[in-house]
Amino acid sequence: MEHPGTFWGVIAWMIVWGVAGSVAIRRRYLQHDLDTSNTTFVGAMLGAATGPVGLVPLWLKTPELTNRLIVLPAIGAVVLVAAAFAFADPDSNCVANGSFVASQITNGIIIGIIYGFMALGLTLIFSILGVVSFSHGEFYMVGGMLTYYVTVVWLPGINPLLGIACACAVVFVLGALFERMFLTPMYQGRIDRPVEYGILITFGLAFTLQYFVQAIVGSNPVKTRRYFDFPRVRLPSPEDPWLVKTSRGNLELFDTISISNPRLTAAVACVAVLGALLYFLHRTWTGKALRAVSQDREAAAIAGIDPSRMNMLAFALGAMIAALAGALLVQAFSWLPQVGNIPAMRSFVIVVLGGLGSLPGAFVGGILVGLVEAAGTGCIPDPQKAASYIPAYGMVVLTLTLLLRPTGLFGRRYASGAHGKF
Amino acid sequence: MKKPILSAITAAAAAVSLGTGPAALAECETAIGGLAPLSAPGTVVGGEAMREAMLIAEEDLNAAGGVLGCKVKVVIADTEGLPEKAAAVMEKLITQDGAVAVGGGYHSSVGVASKDIANARGIPVVFAETWNDTITGDKQKYIFRIAPLSSWASSTIWKHALLVPGIEKAAILTENTDYGIPAAEETRKGLATGGVETVIFSVDIGTQDYAGIVERIKAEDPDIIITLATGEAGYNFAQQSADAGIGPQDLPFHSGQVSLESKSYWENVPDGNYAFVQRIGVPENLFNEKAKNFAAVYKERTGKAAVESYAMEAYDSIAIIAQAINEAGSTDGDAIVAALENISHDGTLGRIYFPYGTQKDPSVDGKGDEWWHQWPDPALTVIQYQEEGQNSVDSPIVWPDAYKTGDAVYVGR
Repeated sequence: MEHPGTFWGVIAWMIVWGVAGSVAIRRRYLQHDLDTSNTTFVGAMLGAATGPVGLVPLWLKTPELTNRLIVLPAIGAVVLVAAAFAFADPDSNCVANGSFVASQITNGIIIGIIYGFMALGLTLIFSILGVVSFSHGEFYMVGGMLTYYVTVVWLPGINPLLGIACACAVVFVLGALFERMFLTPMYQGRIDRPVEYGILITFGLAFTLQYFVQAIVGSNPVKTRRYFDFPRVRLPSPEDPWLVKTSRGNLELFDTISISNPRLTAAVACVAVLGALLYFLHRTWTGKALRAVSQDREAAAIAGIDPSRMNMLAFALGAMIAALAGALLVQAFSWLPQVGNIPAMRSFVIVVLGGLGSLPGAFVGGILVGLVEAAGTGCIPDPQKAASYIPAYGMVVLTLTLLLRPTGLFGRRYASGAHGKF
Repeated sequence: MKKPILSAITAAAAAVSLGTGPAALAECETAIGGLAPLSAPGTVVGGEAMREAMLIAEEDLNAAGGVLGCKVKVVIADTEGLPEKAAAVMEKLITQDGAVAVGGGYHSSVGVASKDIANARGIPVVFAETWNDTITGDKQKYIFRIAPLSSWASSTIWKHALLVPGIEKAAILTENTDYGIPAAEETRKGLATGGVETVIFSVDIGTQDYAGIVERIKAEDPDIIITLATGEAGYNFAQQSADAGIGPQDLPFHSGQVSLESKSYWENVPDGNYAFVQRIGVPENLFNEKAKNFAAVYKERTGKAAVESYAMEAYDSIAIIAQAINEAGSTDGDAIVAALENISHDGTLGRIYFPYGTQKDPSVDGKGDEWWHQWPDPALTVIQYQEEGQNSVDSPIVWPDAYKTGDAVYVGR
């Protein structure tokens, strides 16, 4: 970094005004007996982005804090950090290399979609059952492992879609069985401390699954071939394919953005399944019943919905979503019985960041974490540190968000039901 | 430490009193610990190979009469490749399993973390595959090593890398461990002697997603990529690099040593042809009789087409401890150390001996402290996969000239 003093000076300036804004704006809104739910966040972001220029009018007028007033200062703060970085380190790839920036953003969005998709399952389970499932990473692992065994070992040559479907079906049944056998005592008043019981029993399941798989298949890393090869495409012309160029395992856009086949496949499938899931939740009776239970369990029961059955469905569905993420990524990563540990931790970060119980929050949180990781890996000047801190980037964003908005990004709006509604 | 002697005496007394003779003597056991990473984030493929090798050593030793008339029991301990776990299992091996000495060990961080415990308790350790120089460089009485020093292994890589035509810049991906960090630094220094600029990227052991790092390496436009990461991390990085167009088929690419596991390598890195891999030990056509016998049993047992160098090191680490115990005539730690310092062991890797130790300090011959209790002669070579699906033992050795069996292919040059 050429001018570290400038960069850190701007950061210090943002912190000072951010803290001042968060405190002053909240007090001002309290004095006026106004809604203070977003005041800390808006005050901090506006202070960080504009300093006194933005804070004074807000302090004087105390307008209603609309979505625009929440989002714009946050974007302004991010832009200011980026500008300070660009000025301080003009030779960085993140500043001087447009192709690199485009690739990093694309990679961040793609992996973020996958992260977000996996976190959806966790959110679904929490919304309905009120259980933080610590076995989510193991369902992810089992999904990938089953897909590998079906498509490579047991039925080599089979269409990968069948392998994925088989893995999802098995994990769905596994999730349903587990919920019936171990989680139902929670709702029947047979457990004194149901929250702790839920955590411990899913922890137990996680260990059981992990070591069971290790005992059965061993710990050698396995991987499937990519599910399909890209057809050879050269656009606009074979001689000058500046728009789109594909090889079997890679897609290149605008001669700059490079996306690997397995990631793109996984991300597209995640978006498609997300669409199907939203359709299921909003357009089918069962989906609406799930949403009703997440909002008010007793009212849903009075309306003729069986909450117990919805519990089973939600847990099985959540487990299946994790398994599907695993089945899609076993073509991208080497697979071991412990492969779910890191994604599970990341899912917890994303779910809390997005707001416990919020499906949109989980998805947006996933993309945000993906982008922040890409930015950190690509932009931190010291290459020895840039990649080492990957697990920390999401935690930094989570900590900052919770500091300013304890309910997470979408938490307040969605966490008003039993455990949150989506 | 005294327990095995006591149990041997007790068993002998019981055998005499029962009149059952030498056959019953073999019912006493001498426990030797065996460290291996058998769970992630450790290099599980390496750990499983080492476990199998150490169990074969146990069988061979018992078939040959055990040690001091007792059966040898190799107690395998899973280090998970983690220092804190290594320290715990070393403690357990010594205090609960009654190990009189310990062999094996794959990750340097495991060696660094566990050696102090063994040394403090007076239990000799012969590390099989832990490279960090400080493991022997601390000149601890009970610590021996038959693996090469990290600095030697690094020099193999950078000396070979300097042969890449037109090389000006190298990118190193290293793990954040006691192996990776010093190895990367030594490689950087070595490359600098040839005027090659180096950029180092370090990652946590067990990292899966390298997309951001790969893009950053791509932006550096290196002439060679060197991987100093153990375990499946090396697989993930190699294949994700290949997906992004900077893999082994696009530019000279040194893959991690785990790539010697050919079946696993090709399954996890299907686009990994032309990767260079460092190998320890002589090529199979130069194997001695002991290595040939071990390789035959190992291949039959594991179904593999080749025997990996770390499996041979693991086998030798147990066998040399057994020989030392027999020569010492005791399971006492000091006696075993004295025997090891004077040993000449015909192992699968060749004749193993330790020229420097308490009787002769390395400085006497102008050597650094890392030569303490260090076997000086491990063969270091570089192979290159030159056909898809090729077995590592069938791949040509491209460096050094003394073992060379084929010319290197420098793709993209």
